[in-house]
Amino acid sequence: MLLHILNRSPASSRVPFDALRAMGDNDRLLLLEDGVYGAVAPLAETFASIRGRIFVLKEDLVSRGLEHRQAETMELVDMQGFVALTEQATQTVSWY
Amino acid sequence: MKYALLVQGAPYSQQASHSALRFASALIARGHTLGTVFFYHDGVYNASRLATPPQDEPNLVEAWRRLHQEQGTSLLVCIAAALRRGIIDEREARRHGKEGHAVESPFELTGLGQLIDVHTTHDRLVTFSP
Repeated sequence: MLLHILNRSPASSRVPFDALRAMGDNDRLLLLEDGVYGAVAPLAETFASIRGRIFVLKEDLVSRGLEHRQAETMELVDMQGFVALTEQATQTVSWY
Repeated sequence: MKYALLVQGAPYSQQASHSALRFASALIARGHTLGTVFFYHDGVYNASRLATPPQDEPNLVEAWRRLHQEQGTSLLVCIAAALRRGIIDEREARRHGKEGHAVESPFELTGLGQLIDVHTTHDRLVTFSP
């Protein structure tokens, strides 16, 4: 299982769509930095196909004033949660 | 586990350095070690000893240096990316006839081949890019 790390929003970049296309069936995706804009409706629908495998870095969401605005399909993780995701994955792939 | 980070974002311009540093603290707090940070592309500016941020702002160069002191983390700077941006050490300054230098220990100028080594000698490599 790979952890894909995405710091681009689907509102401003095609990179999120490339990441989704490249993801394997069990891979996970973490949204961080400007990627967290994708956690909020209606952009969050971009990631409908990977429900249950998508995570959002809480502090980047908070620092953009979007706390509690994320779609319910998004699982929040803090920095330690981010590290835990990298522990569980065999490798990480950063998309930027 | 032994971690390595690849930092490709310029300090104070992009979030990459800040994200990488916070990730570094978190992985150490979880009992892992941070073996290496490799600075590439505009990330090499993180190694400038001449950086003088305002005192009430995070001092990124100092934060990297502290990781080396506390964890023995290697701070590797891609020499090809660094030289063309004026991020040179004393030896390169002499060789090219320049006055002054921006890189000093614990940061080390090194070849890109070291990044390949990092891949095989560490359990995880996480990239932070602009």
